Amino acid sequence: MEKSVTERYLEVLLETKRLTKFFGGLAAVSQLDMHVNRGEIVGLIGPNGAGKTTVFNLVTGFLRPTGGKVLFDGKDITGKKPHATAKIGIGRTFQLAYLLPDFTVLENVVASFYLYPKSGFWEAIFNTSAYRKKEEYIVNQAREILRFVGLEKVTDELAKNLPHGYQKVLGVARALAVKPRLLLLDEPIAGMSHDEIDFSLRAFEKMRSQGMTILLVEHNMGIMSICDRIMVLNFGHKIAEGTPGEVRQNEGVIQAYFGSEYAA
Amino acid sequence: MGMRRLTRLTGYAIVIILLFLLPLFVTKPYYLHIFIVTLLYIIVVSSLRTISLSGQVSVAHAAFMGIGGYFSGVISKELGLTPWLTIPLGGLAAMIVAILIGYPFTRVRAIYFSMVSLLGGMAIVNIIRVCQKWTGAAGLAGIPPLSPINIPGLINIVFLGQKVPYYYFTLLLTLVSLVVLHRIEHCRIGMTWKAIAQSHFVASSVGINEAGSRVLALAVGCFFAGIAGASYAHYNLVLTPNTFGFLPSIFLVMYMLVGGRDRFGGPIIGTAILVMVPELFRGLKAFAPLILGAIMVIVVFLMPQGIAGLFDQIRARHGEVRNRKVPGSAA
Amino acid sequence: MGPALLAQVAVNALMLSSMYILMALGFAILLSVMRVLNFAHAVIYMGGGYVCYQLAVVYGLNQWASLVVAAAVMGLFGLFLERFCLRPFFGDVNRTIVMTLALIVILESVVNILVGTQVRSLPAFASGVIRSGGVSLSVERLVTFIISAVLLLVLIFFIQKTKMGQQMLAVSQEPTGAVLQGINIYRVSAVATTIACALAAVAGSLMGAIVSLSPYMGDHMLVKAIEIVILAGIGSIGGVLGAGLILGTIDASLPILISGCATDALGLGIVILILLFRPQGLFGHEA
Repeated sequence: MEKSVTERYLEVLLETKRLTKFFGGLAAVSQLDMHVNRGEIVGLIGPNGAGKTTVFNLVTGFLRPTGGKVLFDGKDITGKKPHATAKIGIGRTFQLAYLLPDFTVLENVVASFYLYPKSGFWEAIFNTSAYRKKEEYIVNQAREILRFVGLEKVTDELAKNLPHGYQKVLGVARALAVKPRLLLLDEPIAGMSHDEIDFSLRAFEKMRSQGMTILLVEHNMGIMSICDRIMVLNFGHKIAEGTPGEVRQNEGVIQAYFGSEYAA
Repeated sequence: MGMRRLTRLTGYAIVIILLFLLPLFVTKPYYLHIFIVTLLYIIVVSSLRTISLSGQVSVAHAAFMGIGGYFSGVISKELGLTPWLTIPLGGLAAMIVAILIGYPFTRVRAIYFSMVSLLGGMAIVNIIRVCQKWTGAAGLAGIPPLSPINIPGLINIVFLGQKVPYYYFTLLLTLVSLVVLHRIEHCRIGMTWKAIAQSHFVASSVGINEAGSRVLALAVGCFFAGIAGASYAHYNLVLTPNTFGFLPSIFLVMYMLVGGRDRFGGPIIGTAILVMVPELFRGLKAFAPLILGAIMVIVVFLMPQGIAGLFDQIRARHGEVRNRKVPGSAA
Repeated sequence: MGPALLAQVAVNALMLSSMYILMALGFAILLSVMRVLNFAHAVIYMGGGYVCYQLAVVYGLNQWASLVVAAAVMGLFGLFLERFCLRPFFGDVNRTIVMTLALIVILESVVNILVGTQVRSLPAFASGVIRSGGVSLSVERLVTFIISAVLLLVLIFFIQKTKMGQQMLAVSQEPTGAVLQGINIYRVSAVATTIACALAAVAGSLMGAIVSLSPYMGDHMLVKAIEIVILAGIGSIGGVLGAGLILGTIDASLPILISGCATDALGLGIVILILLFRPQGLFGHEA
């Protein structure tokens, strides 16, 4: 039975309409229509240079679209600045595991609790009891998050000293501090060992079960197992969409990844 | 309270007490003058460091001293207002200018910011020079000194012509300013700045408004520079634009670097040594700047983290590595 | 504005621009090849002027020969500078700043001690006036411009056509890549510094004849050089020409209409505005 417009409206958390981004003459993302429903884990895959990270940057405001729209929870957020997108509930990680390198793991997460609860300028300076309570709450919450993502053993280690896999996980911890409704993960398991991958995937599923919506970008096909839906990008176009099973058998996808001799 | 912390706080307390008792054993007005000027510059360089926490190394800071000084000097002279009122106003003036020109400057980062700020500072000083009607052809003279504090029957402190009252005023001003700057740095505001300095990507992605936060840093830093400049104006009673120009701004950065950018005490030590030591050698006349140059060369070759970083350097050499680097500062 | 005034302003603009460009080019070369903000450039400029003075006026050497020798001497000094004052701090911006500032402080006071702040100037390199159609132009300023233009052309030739020049270009654009290609960046930076210092020395001598010499004459030119380099954009050596021309023209023409300080402020204002909308400068490539 076709869903009514209202029902669909309530279901879709993130939506892009004809999203386009040109860099000079090159279309990094072209006329992209896609959506992510509440509570889904959606995977965005595609060969290198397909435009996946560009989509993230467009959605979170790090890049301005050349055309098209981005809607979050029904509201047009096209072109909003990155900090504004964080405020309305979009958290993200970065492919290159950007961190605050000179801060400890704990400080990284504590610093990320900028938005909720928000402290004012004067209450911070005068160290009011309200401010101290907020900071204490933040530290406790930060430790909670670190426990959840499995980083509690390296709490006081400097972020720049962490091995790469841990850094990626720290990125997720940071993003969680924003209390996001939608989490954009850019290559969250790239460079991880098998055990780390297992752990991460289970963490993502736990997040989903707690109501989080996740859109992730990945190279590693292993991510497919936890995704409800997959979208495949190539040269900025969406060339396939469906459940992991459907996508795995899609001719266009095989061609994109492996070349035409393997198709059909 | 840890042993280390206790010793450190006791040390500070002793230094502060000695500073308060200073006029008892330093009686020559000339030496008091050096201390006064040094203290004011300590405020300025410390506030410069505060701004640099957000990744913005401003090479225009002397110009903001100038804004505070000229604004306070001119309005107190022309409008007959007491300097006790116009000094804070001078700070506000510097802060407002910082906010106005700061916003566009948030478009540029790192060394580009420093370069543009250099030009901005020079433009400010040139504008001050152009407004000769108020600022005087060869400089601003006739600035009123701090008005006397007179509570009949209790105290009567006159500032005109007296170094000692100015010394205590400056000492108190410096202590208060340093406490405030220290507090700001170690609360969430400072943390936010340090986050921006390390990665503006990460900072934006957690909801930090980079531009707004950076302007705040500029506003705070320039406010204190303005206050120091205004205090200087009402102490020196005469101002010339050259004091706040291109080379002074660069030297302020240098004081901060030589003192050590990583620790709060860096600007204090750096300014104290680089301002006071050459003065000790003033008798050498033209040779005096050589002493300054020599100190700079020694520090730059032997102390990569500045003078204040010497401690950390020695400790690191002995294997005890604890990272005290200011977050986000490039090597 | 009559033709006579216009012609004079034009010649002044050319002369001033070429001086600025000579100074700024050296500075830009150091900035883009070695990523160094060499404040000491101010004293190289000044040193060149004083060495030339010493040779030409005190020792009686032919003034043109003195110019060449001064350039060579400062070039050699540049080698010393690069090896002992800049190379140890490659990559450490903070320490480089302190080092180059230390150099300014030390050298300006040394010259001050040796020579005193008494103003002297070099005799004109060429004298006379060209008159044509009611317009009189100073030969000296024209000659200055021509010398600078020739040097510029030589430099451009050097960068485009010689192996070392190309290496310099490579290092300025992509230092890591250049090293991987086997380019000896130490040799490149030594050559770059020598060239930069020689250029500044020439500028200092020429200006020392047109205006005057003082231990602090370099400060003002350094400021101009920084403005030009920022306007041209980091990484763009060619842009220095355009930016230098613009600034030189502004500085030569505006003081007729408004005071010197207002000119400076205006020039700065323009540069700042341009930068805010185009942080990479007019011709730069990295943002």
